[in-house]
Amino acid sequence: MTSERMVDWMDKAASCLVQHAARRTPEPLSARLEEEWLADLAERRSGFSRLRLGIGCYWATYSIAREQRAATVALARSQLAHANVAGFTTENATLFSRRTVTFLLVASLHAAVLLGLAVGVGSKFIKKTPTEFVVDHIDKVLPRIDPLPPVKPDLNTITVDPPKPVDKLTFEPDPPAVAGDVKEAPPETQGGTGPSNPPAVTINRVQGGPGIGFPSAHDFYPPSAIRREEQGIATVSACVDARGRLTSDPKIIQSTGSQRLDEGALTLAIAGSGHYRATTENGKPVDSCYAFRIRFDLKN
Amino acid sequence: MGKEDREVRMSLQTLKVLEAFLENPTDQLSGAEVHQRCKLASGTLYPILLRLEAAGWFVSRWESINPSSAGRPRRRLYRLTPTGLKRASEVFASFNRGVLA
Repeated sequence: MTSERMVDWMDKAASCLVQHAARRTPEPLSARLEEEWLADLAERRSGFSRLRLGIGCYWATYSIAREQRAATVALARSQLAHANVAGFTTENATLFSRRTVTFLLVASLHAAVLLGLAVGVGSKFIKKTPTEFVVDHIDKVLPRIDPLPPVKPDLNTITVDPPKPVDKLTFEPDPPAVAGDVKEAPPETQGGTGPSNPPAVTINRVQGGPGIGFPSAHDFYPPSAIRREEQGIATVSACVDARGRLTSDPKIIQSTGSQRLDEGALTLAIAGSGHYRATTENGKPVDSCYAFRIRFDLKN
Repeated sequence: MGKEDREVRMSLQTLKVLEAFLENPTDQLSGAEVHQRCKLASGTLYPILLRLEAAGWFVSRWESINPSSAGRPRRRLYRLTPTGLKRASEVFASFNRGVLA
């Protein structure tokens, strides 16, 4: 939109606003105000100024209409006062002017807020303190009751069977396939061209188990089991990846005899994920499943 | 609107309008000229002019031109009445006393 079009649009909008605003005023004033405002509009230079005048005239109609209504009411009251009927009403109207009504409204709002704080709302936020302190004298001295000694679970309750350091597994390879009437292959001779038996593959497998940072059984000793003085050893099976993390939920292979202790053992085994030591084959960590034992033992 | 002498609620904006007329009490000013002098928004200015006219402080009349020949609508010109001049002078005198005291 070019600037000229914009100015034209603002002129039209301002004129429409002025005409519409003037028609909203009471009848004896509307024609006069329309002509007066249009004349003043013509004296404004910029489009923005005209538009501002139009908006202002629209706003002015509210004040003018309100004052006209007030004047009409005042005129009616004065006529009633002449008839010696509305003298009291006129006096009251003077007494309760708009400023007085506003002041009374603000004052009543303040009073309502203060009352609400003092009675209802304040009690939620202000903690009441007793106004009087009553002191009771106790004549009879009650015998002292010593507290029961606390039950201290043994911190060294986890017992993990150490894995065997080295398991030497020897796999014997299958004999090579024999086809046709080929007889048993001659023994390997140096410089021969026939197939020879591959050497036996030896895998050094070190079984994993709970590693460094694995939580203690003391931390997972169920309090209900402590109160009942339940003890036992649970055997748990866990499948662990090469990074020492669980690959599936651990299972109880051998129960302690107590459901609470079994649940504690499973919770402990899950909490230890990431702290398992992976099984290694030839020094390389591999996925594996193995079992280990957890002992819950109370020792005073 | 009645032309009787009535009390007018004094506000800062009303004082600005009166001050614009008191510069030269015999001037007849249109709404646009009053706006230029006191820099009031039209939404505030016109209700004040009408209020002062209704209170008898101002009188207004149409500009004596022929709109068709002039090529513009007639302006409404406001002027202070003797009563308005007296009351406005009293108002400003009371304000001046307060300031000087």
